[in-house]
Parts: sequence; structure tokens; C-alpha cells
Amino acid sequence: MSNTQAGHATRVLLAKIGLDGHDRGVKVLARSFRDAGIEVIYTGLWQTCEATMLAALQEDVDIVGVSLLSAAHLTVMPEILRIRKQLGVEHIPIVLGGIVPDADQPKLKEMGVAAVFNPGSPLDLIIDALRELAASQQEVKLADVRAGYEKRDPRALAKLITKIQHDEDLADFKPPAGNAKIIGVTGAPGVGKSSFIAKLGRRLRDKGSKVAVVAIDPSSPITGGALLGDRLRMMAGTPDTDFFVRSLSSGGAQGALAPHCTDVIAALNGFGFDYIVVETVGAGQSDVAIRDLVDKTVLLLMPDSGDSVQFSKAGIMEIASCFVLNKCDLAGADATQAQLIGAVGDDRPVFRVSTIRDEGVDAVADWVATS
Amino acid sequence: MISRADADSANTETKDSSDKPFVDANDIPAFDPTTALGEPGSFPYTRGVHRTMYQQRLWTMRQFAGFGSATDTNKRFKYLLAQGTSGLSTAFDLPTLMGRDGDDPLSLGEVGRCGVAISSLADMRRLFDGIKLDQVSTSMTINAPAAILLAFYIAVAEEQGVSPDKLRGTLQNDILKEFHAQNEYVFPPQPSVDLVTDTIEYCTKHMPQWNTVSVSGYHIREAGASAAEELAFTLADGMAYVEESIKRGLDVDEFAPRLSFFFDCHNDFFEEIAKLRAARRIWAHVMRDRFGAKSERSWILRMHCQTAGVTLTEQQPMNNVVRVAFQALAGVLGGTNSLHTNSMDETFALPTQEAAKLALRTQQIIAHESNVTQTVDPLGGSYFIEKLTNEIEAKAQAIFDQIDAMGGVLSAIDRGYFRRAIAESAHKQQKQLDAGETKIVGVTDFKEDQASGIDILRITQESEDEQVARLKKLKKDRDAKRHTVALTKLKDDAKTGANVMPALIDASKADATVGEMMETMKSVFGAYSGGPEW
Ligand SMILES: Nc1nc2c(ncn2[C@@H]2O[C@H](COP(=O)(O)OP(=O)(O)OP(=O)(O)O)[C@@H](O)[C@H]2O)c(=O)[nH]1
Ligand SMILES: [Mg+2]
Repeated sequence: MSNTQAGHATRVLLAKIGLDGHDRGVKVLARSFRDAGIEVIYTGLWQTCEATMLAALQEDVDIVGVSLLSAAHLTVMPEILRIRKQLGVEHIPIVLGGIVPDADQPKLKEMGVAAVFNPGSPLDLIIDALRELAASQQEVKLADVRAGYEKRDPRALAKLITKIQHDEDLADFKPPAGNAKIIGVTGAPGVGKSSFIAKLGRRLRDKGSKVAVVAIDPSSPITGGALLGDRLRMMAGTPDTDFFVRSLSSGGAQGALAPHCTDVIAALNGFGFDYIVVETVGAGQSDVAIRDLVDKTVLLLMPDSGDSVQFSKAGIMEIASCFVLNKCDLAGADATQAQLIGAVGDDRPVFRVSTIRDEGVDAVADWVATS
Repeated sequence: MISRADADSANTETKDSSDKPFVDANDIPAFDPTTALGEPGSFPYTRGVHRTMYQQRLWTMRQFAGFGSATDTNKRFKYLLAQGTSGLSTAFDLPTLMGRDGDDPLSLGEVGRCGVAISSLADMRRLFDGIKLDQVSTSMTINAPAAILLAFYIAVAEEQGVSPDKLRGTLQNDILKEFHAQNEYVFPPQPSVDLVTDTIEYCTKHMPQWNTVSVSGYHIREAGASAAEELAFTLADGMAYVEESIKRGLDVDEFAPRLSFFFDCHNDFFEEIAKLRAARRIWAHVMRDRFGAKSERSWILRMHCQTAGVTLTEQQPMNNVVRVAFQALAGVLGGTNSLHTNSMDETFALPTQEAAKLALRTQQIIAHESNVTQTVDPLGGSYFIEKLTNEIEAKAQAIFDQIDAMGGVLSAIDRGYFRRAIAESAHKQQKQLDAGETKIVGVTDFKEDQASGIDILRITQESEDEQVARLKKLKKDRDAKRHTVALTKLKDDAKTGANVMPALIDASKADATVGEMMETMKSVFGAYSGGPEW
């Protein structure tokens, strides 16, 4: 029921484009889609057409859903379709949700919008329509993916990751070895991992390095659906093709990771990235599996996090190569830092960062680049 | 510590669980009219902020309107002034509300659509061309960039030879509810509130007649909060501004009288009346007892109300006229100081002239025909109303305790508390609707077949192109050196934590745009991508 023909969760990117901040509708949809077994990537408020379509390309989604309540559809939709063409991802259908007068519907269909839903559209109907659109997608042959990958076509990379995720037989195709430095970023739910990676990634990009991010979020064990929200924190700044972000759902994997992580990292590595940053699911004391995948592990903490991640020497504290005390703009940073330094007890560095104020990230970027 | 059970009861809607089909004295056992009510115009102002209320002066019928270019809106202002209005109400377009210039890529298709586009001092000058700013009172619905629009207004006044202390008006300037509900935030919560405090401090010193913040529950309610949550979150926000201003070293009695409130008038008639009465009572106690205010003017909660936009239905739109009338009556019986009635066709489009007039007529009929204005707080002393007022006050108090336990409004935002609570309430209402427990006439029941007749306002692309062209020219023609110096000063002041108002006024005069000033502050304050509960 919940899956496409091939038996895999449908992936949908939901986007709010422009300045309109009415997100009650899109959030209700995102949750309902997840409950129906769909993997939803929500990119948050205030997105441009370009950033949205670049995200769709990298995420290799089956469908892009655009939510527009500002009545700007006749301005925005032509633009998004133009960019879809420019990026060469015309196979991704685009559906529109919002306040759309009946008279505009034929115009929208004619310009290439796959479906239009109004606020009153029944949920079942929307979900069925999405599944149908996803199911009608053509299978891409491994040989084509391989050819594209060798030409460094990011569309092929995105598709290869999908194939890895789908457990397809890729015996014919082993990506070449790469030279990327692989960094794990872990820490309790909500400490700011995604926000921090966004800033760290920018710093590394500013030094001219190519950066890939694998961001893992939990999926529902019952429906297989997921709300992949990490990317939302990584959407700031001008769209950048050498900053490749891929959201994965944990799909029941252990240790705050996702299935096939090793292969996904290998695919990115062979593609020529200089850094690959892996964000775990919000992690607990015993989620140490990340260590085996990466060269360095950054453990994020926040003021007063003594209760969520205990400063004990065992478990997650033990595997950290460095510690980032994030949210230092909040009260209690000094006390937590003192506690933390006491608990670390060796010469692993402790960085003070405020991601939100963009303070202290340079030092971590330097450490990442040189250690 | 607050137990989970308390928290739940704070979230549930008023529903009497006893079988008794009426309310009587047993339901308000400790009721003492002297302390619970006082006389109208005296502490704790449950019955109203004036002794005579509507007998001497009706509420202000303030209809929020205005869209188009600065020049169009200026014409409309002049027309309204000629009709005898002295209060101007300004709605800004989405780019301005978000602190972006008209030529920002994200502004595409939005320039001048839902309000006037103001990107620079030049635009503000055109907006008030030929209007003496010491002769009018201007209300500006703007939040994240409110300090900048205020700076423009001050600079235009100065050009007219009007000093700031002569200026009268209101700035919505309530950034906290943007984090809870409306999403028109730019900077992270703390620096956002610091910026509001800058405006409060500046106005307290230089603009004593200016209403600094209109603390708003309207958007919180429209996003799905219950009545008790609307009341509690709004008053908690108000307290946060008071706290921050006191921390700044301001005397509470100097700034508190210039804070006002903005509530929703929803469907549950008696509950809404109780909410407005409770609001005044809670605020009076908070100001006197928690903050030690000595002036009566600080204890008084002045409010504006608007009927609930979310209750309007696209189906059988004439029904909306009736809904609005009852909601407006609740506002009046609750003793509001000012009221906006929605137009019946506002579900999807901006109102037509006809519908807007009917909305105003609704208020006039209540004011002049229904005779509900003959006595102040006519429902005071009703067992039911007093019981509801007590209950909603108790629920609000439980929510204040929760927020206090989290370390205040800012840390509660950081934990996603408000958004989660609002989402849960909205979800609950949806479930009640799906289960048929809540009825909507013409939608869930008493339906008729009807073609969907959604229509929307079309804007012309030309006005956007014109605005963008004007901006380009401004950026080319201005004194580049003065512009750079002014923005550098703004950045320095933001960094050192100085009040940025003087630097904003100087930057305005140097033709810095809204977007540039916001970007400059963003480089110091940071940008906010939303709380943990997306
Ligand atoms: N005050 C403050 N808040 C921050 C900072 N960094 C991130 N946040 C906020 O923390 C919340 C969570 O940020 P995310 O980046 O999504 O955290 P995360 O660790 O990736 O969360 P999960 O992936 O859900 O585990 C958001 O509301 C951010 O705005 C910071 O430096 N200071
Ligand atoms: Mg994350």
C-alpha cells in the first residue's frame, strides 16, 4: 500500500516558495504523508525556485510539491518549470497546492504542472495522485547511471544513491576510491547538528573544497514513512552545486544511522568530494556505530545538556574526536563548558560555538581541515 | 513544578462536565465582586478600563486596509483625511514585512500585492506626501523590521519640521508572536526582542505619545491556539517585553502605559467575553504586583480586537456576515477599546468595497441600534460569565507557571513549547471536526451544492517593475560614501549592543534600504531558521 511499484517508499519534496509564511497546511500535509508511508523532505520557509529544484535533484525525489498561499502561482510556477528544465530534471513531476482559481488550472496544466490541489482537496485523493505519479516514473538503467557518474553528473550520483538505498544489484559498478575526509557529526536530538553542518559546510566550501552531506533522520517503524527535516537547516545561502546534501531515513538501522551508509559514502567519495559530513539521527549514550564509518567524529552538546548526554567517559563521549559546545548564545554555556572540560580529561579539543550567530565555526573548520 | 495533568487541563477547552443545566452561586463560591471586579474604571478593571466606557465614547472602529504603491496609498490616505478620519492604518506588502527589498529574488510576484511596498526613505516620503505628521495618528502593522519603518517615519517627520515628541501612532512591533505563530521573523529570538526593547527605550525617551508594541494574540489564535492559550501566550509575551525593558533600566511606569494588546474574537460567544475580561484583570495584577507599577495607567490593559478570520467559510459566504456580527458583539460586551470586523468575502481574497462597508455597518448597528452600550459591562455578575472568567484566568495562570518553570518566554520558544502547544490544539480541533463533534453551518451540516467560486486579487506586474526600477535608481544615485559610513555605524552599534535606533535613522537618511539594514543587522544578530518544532 504505502510503497511504489518497486516496493520502496515514495520520496516527496515539499517546498514553500517566496516569503509567504503560512505553513500550517504544508506541515499538516507533511505529517499526513509520513503517516501514509511517504518519505517527506521539507525545505522550510522562504525558498527560491532554484534552491528548491537543486534540492530535488540531489535528493532524487519522485515528486516536488509546491505550496503557494500567496496567489503568486502564475509568477512562480513558470519560473520553477524553467529551472527544472535548466537543471535537466524534467522527469520530476511538480504538483501545486494552494489557493488557485479554477480559471487558472488549465493554464497551469498546459505549462507543465502535473496536478493542482486546493485547500479543500481530500487527503486520500492527494496521496493517491502522488503514488500514481511516482509509479509512472521510468526506471533508469544502471549503465546510464554509471555513464553519468563517470562524467560527474550530479543527477547520476543522486540516482546511484537511490539505487543503493533500494538495495539494487550494483555488482557491475564499483565507484572508484576517493580521497575525501569523512566527518561524523552526532549528538542529542535538537542540539543543532544540521544547523552546525550548514555553517561548517559553508566554511569548507569557502576554502574551495567540495562538500557532501549525508543527513539521517528517523523513519516510522510502522509505516516506513519519514519526515526528513535536516535539510531545512541547510538551505540558507545561494544554491551551490558543489554542496551536495542527501537526506536518508534511518529505516530501522541501528546506532542512529541508515542502511547502506557505507555504500552511500563510497559513492560520494568516488565522485570526488573533499569532505563528506555524516549527520546521525539524534543520538543517545550508546549510539557509537558512527565511529566505524568516519575518520573523525564531532560530538555536539549544548548548555545544560548534562542530563541528556551524560558526561560519562563511556559510550558516545568516548568516540568523539572533538567536542562542540553549540548554542553558546544561551545561558549556562560557561558552566557546561567547565563541566565538559572536567569530564573529557584529555587533550581532545572543546570548541565553543553559536551556530545561530555564526560564531566559533571557523576554529572547528580549521581543526577539521588540519587534523 | 507543574504536573502533566495541570498542563492538560490548561489546554482543554471550557466544557462543563457536571450534569446541572445551569450555573449558579455554587459555581463561584468565593466570588467577591469588590476584589474580583471592582467598579468599571477601577482596579482590577475586569469590567472595563473607563468608568463610562461606551456611554461617553464608542470603541474605535478601525478597519485595516490599504494596498498598492506608496502613491496610491497616499491618495487613499488623503481621501480618508478629507472624510474626517484622523487615524491612518498602514498595511505593508510581504517583502517589506519580511525586511526585504522589492528587488530581492524572494520578493518575486509579491511587491505591492497585499500592502504598500516601502523599501527606502524615499518610499516613505511619497507615502506621507502632503500629510503633516503632527496632525495624524498612524498605525503600522509591521514586526521584524519595525524599528526601520519607525526610523523612516521619524526621518520624514524631521523633513517636515515635526519633532519626534509630536508623533502619535502605533507600531505592531510584536516579534514574539511571530515565533509562536505567524513566521515573520528574521533574527533569532533574543536579538529580535532586544530590537523591540530598543524601540521601547527610544520612544520612551523621545516619543511619549507613541504606542510602542501591540502585543498580539490574534495570530496565535488563528494558528489554532485555544482561547486560554491565546490569552496566556499573549500576556506572557507582554510580560517578557516589560521584563526586558526593566532590565534595560527603564522605569516601568514610563513605558508600560504605551503597551497595548490585540485579541481575536472567535465563535464561542461567552468564552470570548470572559477572555477579554480576564485579560484586564490578570494584567492589572501582574503590573501592580509582579512589576511594582505605581501608575494606574500602567495597570490598564487597552485592547484592539478583530473578528476571527479562520471562522469564515468559502461555502455560503453570506453566513459569514452573521458570524462576524456575533463575534463583534462578543468584543463589545467584553469591553474592547477598538474593533475590526472582517468582510464576508475575506476567506481567499482581499475584500470588495461593498463587503468592507457591510462589515463596518455591522459595528455601527451594534453601536447605535442594539442598545448594548447603555450600561458598562452588562454581563458583569452573571454566574456563568464570572465562572468562565475565573476559569480562563486559572488556565492562563497554569500556563504562566509552565512558562516560568521553563525559564521564561525565550527559553520556551527555544524548546518549541508554543508551536507544539498550538499545533496540538489545532490538531485537536481538526479531530473534533472530523468526528462530527464540532459543526460548521454550511460546511459540515446544512450543506448546499455550490460551485467553488474561488477568486483572487490580480496585481499588475507593472507596479512591481516600477518599484524595482525606482530602487535600482536610488541605489545608483545615492551618496555611496555616506551610505557605507551609515551602515558601518549600524553594524558597530549592533555589535556593541548600543541602541540601534539613532543609527537606523541616520542610515535611513543615507538612503539605505530596508533590505540592506536588515542584512547588516543579520550579520551581527544571525538569522533564524525556525524553532525545533517545524
Ligand atoms: N540558540 C541557539 N539555537 C540554535 C543554535 N543552533 C541551532 N539552534 C536551534 O536548535 C534547534 C534545532 O536545530 P537543528 O539544527 O535542527 O538540530 P539537530 O541536532 O540537527 O536536530 P535533529 O536532527 O532533529 O536531532 C533549531 O531551533 C535551531 O534554530 C545556536 O547556536 N543557538
Ligand atoms: Mg538535524
